[in-house]
Amino acid sequence: MLTLLGLEFRKLLGARSVRIALLISFLIPWIWSLAPRLQQVYGLVLTSGFQVPAISLITSVQFVLPLFVALSCAEMIGTEVAQGTLAPLLLRPIDRNRVILSKLITALIYPALLLLVLLLGSFLAGARLGYGDFVGGSGLGPGGFIGQGALSSGAALGQVLRGYLLGALVMAPIAALAMLYGVVFLNTSAAALATIATLQIMRLLTVFPESFQQVLLTTHLDLFLRQGNISQSLILLVIYTAGFCLLSVFAFDRRDV
Amino acid sequence: MTKTAVSGPSAIEVRGLSKRYPGASVLEDVNLTVKPGEVYALTGPNGAGKTTLIRTLTGLAFPTKGKVFLMGRNVHEDGPRARAYLGAVVEAPARFYPQFSGTENLTMHAKLAAMAPNGVRVSRDRIREVLALLELTRMADRKVAEYSLGQRQRLGVAAAMLADPKVLILDEPTSGLDPLGINLIHRIVTSLATSGCAVILSTHHLREISTYAHTVGILTGGRMVDSVDLRSRQAAYRFRVDDPQGAAELLERLPFVRRASSRTPYAVAHLGGESRVPEALVALSNGGIRVYEATPDHFDLYEYYRERVEQA
Repeated sequence: MLTLLGLEFRKLLGARSVRIALLISFLIPWIWSLAPRLQQVYGLVLTSGFQVPAISLITSVQFVLPLFVALSCAEMIGTEVAQGTLAPLLLRPIDRNRVILSKLITALIYPALLLLVLLLGSFLAGARLGYGDFVGGSGLGPGGFIGQGALSSGAALGQVLRGYLLGALVMAPIAALAMLYGVVFLNTSAAALATIATLQIMRLLTVFPESFQQVLLTTHLDLFLRQGNISQSLILLVIYTAGFCLLSVFAFDRRDV
Repeated sequence: MTKTAVSGPSAIEVRGLSKRYPGASVLEDVNLTVKPGEVYALTGPNGAGKTTLIRTLTGLAFPTKGKVFLMGRNVHEDGPRARAYLGAVVEAPARFYPQFSGTENLTMHAKLAAMAPNGVRVSRDRIREVLALLELTRMADRKVAEYSLGQRQRLGVAAAMLADPKVLILDEPTSGLDPLGINLIHRIVTSLATSGCAVILSTHHLREISTYAHTVGILTGGRMVDSVDLRSRQAAYRFRVDDPQGAAELLERLPFVRRASSRTPYAVAHLGGESRVPEALVALSNGGIRVYEATPDHFDLYEYYRERVEQA
């Protein structure tokens, strides 16, 4: 299994789309850190380097990060089919379930990698603002950017790390969904498009009853901003992720290649 | 011609294989067996189902009906164990990760091959050995994206033989190769068969394959319409006579004649060897049959294939 995982990571990091995504994730925080009209457009004044990760995450999680995740995860199957390397892989004495599991594990780790790079870029971009104690909020803790008075650097760091960890968890079901569509369509474009379209359609369902909205994945994409008891949302995200993963394994098991 | 295939259990066994897609039947009740050391050539017109058959044999596609066994193991129910003995190239040209070199691609394949139940590690020396066999040493450390079509195809065969397979399945292995490359593949296939490997390869090069294949299967419209044992065709002789039917009946009665038939103006008999020709001539003469000519009856596989495909 480690052999397969190593191979999948090697392929992932060699993919052009992943390298572009990682580069953009590193550069996005600099936009916010250096933006001259941030206050005019968003009414926001950055007072600490700890606020750069928050604004980078909040603005990326709506579209850019899901797009990167959908495309790169769909590519994990789609490119293999397009360049004909999936068949040679399946000709080896390896159970099909192990092949798809290794891809799923890699796909689920990929959003965390993206967010790690986003965080790293944010910390570097926010360095000019300093990382000491400050008055205000990190943007990922209670009170948002306004905060609740003075905030120590340790507490701010904790809020940022919590936010990014939850952000990675929020992206996991999107990665799993992209893999599922990848297995179904065996095509990168179709799978990526279907993933993004699914998310967009879910967002349109705000016109449906509140109880129905609570089970939609997109309702919980802002989990990293929520405080208090988030266990219900976490459980739902885990159910979505596990469900999409299981469906992927099931669909791949008897799929003609 | 390679040595006679080893008798005993089959290395590859296909029983009642059918494959249907919605609205189309691609394979219908295909049966075949290949013994260790045997070279089985699969041929047929385009669209006959050869590639689908090969994909089903290797476990990439699943049959609608029927079973496939490799070294006694069902390839669709016990895949990892069945494929532990398998080396295969199912696309022409063979596909690899273009961003990695030939050696790196083979190293990945070696690691994956070692994941077989009771799998044996494939050493770097073995990787170098197969690259040298396929005349790819010079290109070994170059990215596969820089390889020509023929080089990729040879790398595919290298990957297939990396783990010393007992079953080798090749789909158009000589596709894209120059004459020297074709000859190289044929020599390698022959060598592997001689050492006991069962080989199935699909091909359109009938005249070349007839020099070293043991059996040729002709697939048309998803059905195996004929299976030709090339070994038994070697010892046939034809006699141009005045009464082909009478001559065939007379020859059939001789104890050393396996089979006799008439093909006007000839009587064709499988004699078991050149040494039996004088005896056959004496028998025909004693039976009142005038013999004008006696020659070996070279089996023209291409002509036979053409006839069978047109009949089907």
